[in-house]
Parts: sequence; C-alpha cells; structure tokens
Amino acid sequence: MQSDTERQELRRSIKEAAAAHDAAAVLQHARRLLANFSKPADVMFCASTFNGIADDMKDQLRARRLKTYIVRSVTVEPILPFLTTEAVLSNYVLDLQIGGYGSYVDELLNPQSALAKFKPDLVLVLLDLEDISGRLPGYCADGIGEAVEAEINESLARVEQLLKSFRSDSCARILFQGIVVPDTTSLGDVGEANLPHSLGNAVRDLNQRLAALCRTISDCVFFDVDQLAARTGRALWRDTRMFLASRLPVASSSFGTYACGLVRSFSALFRAPRKVLCTDLDNTIWGGVLGEDGPEGIATGSAFPGNCYFEYQRYLKQLSSRGILLAIVSKNNDADVREAFQIRAADLGLTLDNFVATKISWNEKATSIRELAEELSLGLDSFVFVDDNPVECEAIRQQLPEVAVIAVPVEEPWKFVELLAAQPFFDAAVVTGDDINRLNEYKAQAQRAEFANSAGNRDEFLASLEIVCTFLSAVEAPLARSVQLLAKTNQFNLTTRRHSAAEVEAFASGTGCQAVAIRVRDRFGDAGVVGLALARTEGDSCSIDSLLLSCRVIGRGIETALLAHIAENAIRAGANRLVGEFIATKKNAPCADFYVSHGFVPEASSQASSPESVFYQLDLTTSAPTSPAWLTLEGNESNELSASAVVAS
Amino acid sequence: MSSQQVPSSLRDILADILEISPDEVTPELGVGTIDSWDSFRHLQAILAIEGEYGVQFDPARIAELTTVSLIQTELVAKGAAL
Repeated sequence: MQSDTERQELRRSIKEAAAAHDAAAVLQHARRLLANFSKPADVMFCASTFNGIADDMKDQLRARRLKTYIVRSVTVEPILPFLTTEAVLSNYVLDLQIGGYGSYVDELLNPQSALAKFKPDLVLVLLDLEDISGRLPGYCADGIGEAVEAEINESLARVEQLLKSFRSDSCARILFQGIVVPDTTSLGDVGEANLPHSLGNAVRDLNQRLAALCRTISDCVFFDVDQLAARTGRALWRDTRMFLASRLPVASSSFGTYACGLVRSFSALFRAPRKVLCTDLDNTIWGGVLGEDGPEGIATGSAFPGNCYFEYQRYLKQLSSRGILLAIVSKNNDADVREAFQIRAADLGLTLDNFVATKISWNEKATSIRELAEELSLGLDSFVFVDDNPVECEAIRQQLPEVAVIAVPVEEPWKFVELLAAQPFFDAAVVTGDDINRLNEYKAQAQRAEFANSAGNRDEFLASLEIVCTFLSAVEAPLARSVQLLAKTNQFNLTTRRHSAAEVEAFASGTGCQAVAIRVRDRFGDAGVVGLALARTEGDSCSIDSLLLSCRVIGRGIETALLAHIAENAIRAGANRLVGEFIATKKNAPCADFYVSHGFVPEASSQASSPESVFYQLDLTTSAPTSPAWLTLEGNESNELSASAVVAS
Repeated sequence: MSSQQVPSSLRDILADILEISPDEVTPELGVGTIDSWDSFRHLQAILAIEGEYGVQFDPARIAELTTVSLIQTELVAKGAAL
C-alpha cells in the first residue's frame, strides 16, 4: 500500500497540471493515481478534472470526442465518473447525456425524441432483464416451461424493432448490453443445471440471440456484461440491496470493471486493432536462454514450466489465425534460432512459417522494429512488443512511444497469456476474409520486393506482376471491409473521414452517388479489397468525399485506376467537372500531391464550411484520367451503366 | 473553523464528490444546501463512503442521512474508524 502522502502529492500534481492546461501531464499523474489508489473519491476527482480540461485533451492529445447518449432503464448516474475516467484513459472524451428511466422505448422509436435531437455519435443501450424479457423468470420457474421459447422470440422481435427503427434514422454507433445470468433462482443450482428451460439456460440463449441480432445491424456491438460478471463473480457483481433500493445494476465495487468493459467494447466500433505482435525469444517464447542452454535446454513443451511457454505460443498462433501478424525481434544468432525451431519442433506451438518476418540479430530492438514497420508498410502504432527484459521494454517505450509494450514477468511465465488478453489492442468485433489472408499477403509482398530488385524498368516490372483490379460496390466489399478500410487507413487517405457502415450505405444508394471498392490480385497473391472511393455528383460537378488505398499496394498505379473509374462513373452521371478534396493529417503526407499529379488544379480560395480542406478541380471534358496500361480491369459494380453510354458522352 | 470538526478522510471524500474545496465541508452542509449535492450526488457520496470505511448503510436510512453531521454520526454508530 502506497502512502497517503504520495497520494496527496499526485493529486496536487494533477491539479497543477490541469491549471497549466497540460493534458499529457494530467493524464500521466492520473494513471499513477488510479493504478495505485483505487479509491472511488479519486475517480470522482479525476473525472471532474478531466471534464475541466476536455478541450485541452482534444487539442493536445487528439482525444476523440464522442457525443454519447445512454438509453437506460436502470440507475447509471453513480457510474458516470468511472465511465468518464475509463474513456479518457483510452483517449476518448465523452459528452454524456442520459435518457429517462421509463422512456427508452420512446427514445429509440420516436424521431423527435431527446435522443434523436441530441444527434449522438454513440448510443449505449443499458437495459435490465425486466425490460428486455420481463416474463421470462415466471415462465422459467418450473424449468420445463413451454412458453419460454415463444417469450424469447417475442423479446428478440421487440429489441429488433427498437434497434432497427433507431438505425433507420441515425448513423450513431450502438452498444447493446446483454443480460447478466441470474445468480440465484428458486430452482437452485441443481435444477438450473439440469432442467431444459431454467432461467440460466434461457438467459444464456437470449444473450446469444441478441448478439446475433446485433450482427445484423450496422455499427452495432453486443456488450457481453455477463462475461464480466462471471469473471468478477456473479455474487459480487450485483449488490441486491442497492439494486432493490435504487435500481443500481452493478455493485459499487465493480463500477471500475464495468466502465472499463463498456469502453473496451464500444472502442471496437471506432478503432482498428493493432496488426503486428513482435515477440522476444529467450524467456518469452521459451524458457531459458538459447545461447547458454542450447536447443535441448530451453523450456517448452508439455511439462511444467515449458507448458507455460507453450500456452503463450498457442495464444500467438490463435492471434495469427485471425490476421494478427507475428514477428520475432530477438538478440540471438539467426542460425541458432533456426536450429532450435527445427530440433524442438515437436515441443513448440509455432513454426517459423507462422511469422511474417524475423529480426534475429544483435541490433538495437528499436532499429529492428523500425525496419519491420518499413518493410510491412505499417505505422508504428500498429505494433505491439512483448519482452521479458525491462531494459529493452523501457528502451522501446522511450524511443518508439507509439508501440504498445508488454513487459512479461520472467518469474511467472503462467501469467503471459493473461497479461496479453487484458490489453484491448487486438480487440475486433468483426473479422473479414481479408484479415485472415493477411499473413499470406504480406509474405507475397516480400517476394514481390525481391522480384522488383531483379526486374528492369518500373513499367516492365509492374506489367510482369499481372495485376488485376476488380471494381465492386462498397456495400458488397463486404460492407464490414469497407468500414474497416475507412477506420484504419491513414497514409494514403485523402480526407480521413471515418464513415460508419450506415454512411457508406447512404453513398451507395443515393442519387448520383458512388461507393466503389477495389479488389487487387497479382501473380503472387490476392491482396483482397484494398481501396475505396465515395463520391457524389450534383449538377455538372462530381465531388470526391473519400478516396483511400491500403499502403501495401501504393505505387502500382492502382490509385490512378480508382480515380479513372470514379471519373467514368461521374461522366455517365452527367458531370463534366471532378472536384477533389485533401485534408492534411499527421500521417497522410504520402498522398498530399495526389490530385496535382493527376492534372487537377488547386482552387484559389478555401471554403468557409471546411477550412481544413484544400479543393482541386479537373475538367473532365478535356483531361479525364485514364488507368495505367499495365493494369487489367474488371468490374461487377452493380450500378454500372452500359458501355455505349460512355461513348455517347 | 467549523470544517475542523469533520474528520479529514470524510471531508476529502465529500469535497471530491461535490466538487468543492475541503474547507467548504462543514457539519451543517447537506442535501440542498449547495447545488451540487442533489440526489444522485448523494447516492454517489454514500457509495463512496461505504467503500472507504467498509460499511453498509440500511437503504431505508440513506435518504435520511442528509447532512455531513448525520452521516458522521451514522458512521460512528456502524463502528467505522474515522
């Protein structure tokens, strides 16, 4: 237990930093205060301090402001300071508004409700079993009830109507909270476990089906609160006294856990997961030091403590199965490592093939990670670094602050998986085919780079790749992939607008609108859907709202093909002028001259409504862009017009 | 000053929750005497105090604990070390 003097000291530092409007310092001290002293009053103190410097956090830390509306049938007010605090720790500034206890139905259904007028970015729907399926406990009382199935169906239909009705009028992201499985029922544990329609079974079934319903609604995530309750202990999760007295759904001792779970869950709607895990070898992927203990001496396999490391390896392999790239960053002799992977293959949960790249050398690890970022064309903020050596970990924290660092405890290898799982950076509510194919694609990238070195001039090289571009509707990319691209593409992204699924759908279906995705394959592999453009034609002018391309396919003329395709569609829709827009960010310098290099002319004056934007114009009647000769184009975009229309125009 | 009569741990919790200076926490301070002490802050305060001192109040009494001095008396009755 830390001393109260230190606590007071930290609080003083936070106050001073807040008075000086130094958001980073406030956050740094607040993290220490909250990590070392979990007093509710400290959380209140932090929440009120954070609220006071919300603008500084937005300006200095680029914290994302979310207008958040809570639709609820329970008391959430005492939990809000915890929610505010957890959100700030994840770099969100919540602008909160709370609905009435009894008005959640009206709020979701009525387009004139307080919820609709608030125009939120995020809606948290926090209802109790009583509201979602109030008759279920009665029907489940005998454990064999015939009416249970029908009641579940009816409850689902009601929730579906609420969510779909809300979705039809709003693009806000939705978090829908599930139900905590009741801990105590009149059937007792034996009856609960053995009877087909016990309340526990019914609620578990209902939760699964609510999650399935959420999958059918765009930008909606299911929050499995029961999982949190189970991890904490269901008996501790709810304070029956306070639930009955004040409709407080969670015991005050679990406010922090609950708030953290909510933030982690809705984050999946706003943030893409990190993409690369770099792991150390000695005392991390296996026990012992290869250079000293030799391949036979390192600990891995089925016996303790080797099985702790085996669990870690298996966890990494599972991450790799859903598209997280694995890399080795180790100070070792390359030949020794290859020998160890061969000799101990039977005792290892991973092979070298599971890694997209290995950096086994005596170089500084920061250098190795920088090289990896360059080779994979990924930002450092996509990286996670796992190492047992505190010095290495600190070096990365200081030199590459964007990289997430996990220092694993060398004396407790059974904790590695737990530590990794506690971190949110690989959280994803959606996994697409493109994610799963990522390892192969990055390996193909490496082959391509090798091939480029042996080929002659650029055009010949590009032609020899036999690149095929397929245009398809962004809604059929599939839609989840389009939204994912919008959410995570940073470098080649002209406006960096993080549109939601509903907004993409609006582009796809609007009159004169285009929502085009591009899929790319070549002789080395299928890169999948890697680019997207959204544009709107009004009168004789077509404006490009968004145009982006995954950085791993930049430099092959694909961006030009995408632009040419947009231009063709615009001409068909009656446009004779193409308007490009560029909004500079910290990361998108690689595409800053995109429009100029395609013959666009910058507009002299900026528009008052969007001061950050620079606009460019292209006369389509004289200089429509054309796709490079080395690309083969295919199109099955649904809104394609006949070829004769192009000739006619 | 009258705030000296309020034990410092209790005074600090209430100051955090009500977003006021510790000096302003007097025994007479209560629900309705300042704007920030509304019914939700009251619930927040009670929950934080329960957590701090490891006690549980009877829900029927919570609404009656409307001033600092009443809360303090109840805590003493529950055997809390202030």
